Amino acid sequence: MIEATDVHKTFRRGEREVEVLRGISCRIPKGQCAFVVGPSGSGKSTLLYLLGALDRPTRGAIRVGGQDLSTMTEAERDAYRRDRVGFIFQSFNLMQNLTALENVLIPFRMRRVPKAARRAAIELLAEVGLEERMNHRPYQMSGGEQQRVAIARALIKDPSVILADEPAGELDSRNGDEIYRILRRLQSARRTTLVVVTHDRRPIVADDRILEIQDGRLAGSGVNPNITNPHLGHLLVRS
Amino acid sequence: MIFHFAWRNLTTRPLRTILGLVGLSIPVLGVLGLFSLSGGLRGLVTDTLGRIQGVMVVRQGAPTPVFSDLSADLGATLEKIPGVRVAAPEVWKVAPAVEGVAAFSVGGLAKGLWSKGPSKGFFDISVVVGEDIASHRRLKNAIGPKAILPPEQGGGRYLEPGDRGRPHVIISKRTAEMHRDAAGVPKRVGDTLRIGDKPFKIVGIYETKSMILDAVILMDIETARALLGVSADTVSAYYLEMDDPSRMGQVAAAIEAAAPNVSAMRVSEFQAPYGAILDQLDTLLLMTVSLALAVGVVGIVNTMLMSTTERFVEFGVLRANGWSRADILALVTAESATLALMAGLLGSVLALAGIELANQFVGGGVRLPVTPGLFVAGLGLSTATGLLGGLYPAWQASQLVPMDAIRIGSR
Repeated sequence: MIEATDVHKTFRRGEREVEVLRGISCRIPKGQCAFVVGPSGSGKSTLLYLLGALDRPTRGAIRVGGQDLSTMTEAERDAYRRDRVGFIFQSFNLMQNLTALENVLIPFRMRRVPKAARRAAIELLAEVGLEERMNHRPYQMSGGEQQRVAIARALIKDPSVILADEPAGELDSRNGDEIYRILRRLQSARRTTLVVVTHDRRPIVADDRILEIQDGRLAGSGVNPNITNPHLGHLLVRS
Repeated sequence: MIFHFAWRNLTTRPLRTILGLVGLSIPVLGVLGLFSLSGGLRGLVTDTLGRIQGVMVVRQGAPTPVFSDLSADLGATLEKIPGVRVAAPEVWKVAPAVEGVAAFSVGGLAKGLWSKGPSKGFFDISVVVGEDIASHRRLKNAIGPKAILPPEQGGGRYLEPGDRGRPHVIISKRTAEMHRDAAGVPKRVGDTLRIGDKPFKIVGIYETKSMILDAVILMDIETARALLGVSADTVSAYYLEMDDPSRMGQVAAAIEAAAPNVSAMRVSEFQAPYGAILDQLDTLLLMTVSLALAVGVVGIVNTMLMSTTERFVEFGVLRANGWSRADILALVTAESATLALMAGLLGSVLALAGIELANQFVGGGVRLPVTPGLFVAGLGLSTATGLLGGLYPAWQASQLVPMDAIRIGSR
């Protein structure tokens, strides 16, 4: 269970302070798919990064699996990111000088890579259809292939939460749909909680949780079992 | 693992890495070259003075016999001191113009050093040494007679009693080559050498291969006095040989007790003034090293700052994948250390090759040393520079908040 309570986040830009999140409270049950939607600059990505302990909220609390991220020490936050969260970014963010397999093993790279992790990485790359591309570098792969490597990298630690920031944002619709298919398949198989930030509402299906953010506030959230893709509009059930 | 990753990061940006390498390897090259030169000069002094066995009695405080003057009567006193076998008087002075070339010609250190052939540089200053032939012939370990070139090389002979008061000189092969005739032929035995405004007949040619010893023009002490304007009651120094060389220290102490205002120094002790000069040279070298280090550190800081600034997203992604601040710090430091180690290797290899090459051209008994210690010093110096220069960029990269790193880097 992911639980955010009155989360505020303020950034300083030069002389002025910008309040990006203004008291977000929400819950995402374990194993569910949640889509955070809203216009650009509404604070979607900031919320996602706070859920991943990439920064601390200015005020409020975020609990994941009963652990309060805002009170964790630096080392605990490192361990949380290392062991419990997988990130997928819009721009893939792969290391250009490493092969696909090496990119997947990035979380282990500071230390000796366990043989089991190496085997798991090979299996994961095979699962996302890249068994023939393991030793290729990112610049030798298409955008869709790179994002599949990023998915494998996010899953190598068998995390309880996957956080994806516009995972299909730089892909054409065919490749984007493929990425969502892969994500859903793996999420379903592993019963991982998936939180996706997106502009694109087409991938949202029935039983997905939707969090709509506007101007740093939660405009609506809930699950609509009657959604028939793709025209969600404002059919959200108010929580 | 981390060094493997660091290596990959460096090879990803080859041009920057090469520029960083060159920037740091040049100071290493310079530092090692200068230290080798210092070592070479020390070696020359040690080797030269180490060949001379005996005690040199000079005026107290005189750094060399050239700056010393003693009473000519002192010899008798010295020979009465138990343990002294021979006290041979000598007159030492910087030579007047030789073949019309002034002693202190403009040429400088470099010209004298970097030439095996004749030249008119700093190390070409000639010194006239006038020997009392009779007493010197009683010496058992004098260098001069042994250094005369063999007859087939035109060595001639050493000073003999018949040379007393006559304008006869013995010169080094180097001096002979410095003063050639119109056809370019070096001076030979039988030729005339003009010292000051007087002609001298060359009766012998020697070679010690030390640029210090090969600067000496030998002649009879009376002839030298006449040439140099030294009065008959004055000598510069006494060269003493002992009955028992192992008691040299005690005899030297006895001499200083018996004759006030003189220093009885084993010739190897003359190394001290040279050592002091070389110590000053080393201080200068240390200052140069410090400057080179500062340049190296700035170069590494610049290279690594450029590298880290454009890799904010990478660091953010690594942090997102569980890397700690310490991990990032270690990665960037490993990169700068690897770069510095490579620069050290390159600089050291270039320096050692350069020194070997320079040894082909350096003359005068100077041999620039190529030692494993020099190689290790080069590596140590560059690695320390790399670690020092990489610290700030590494610290800066490690302090990034992951979310900021990804956001700033994505702009």
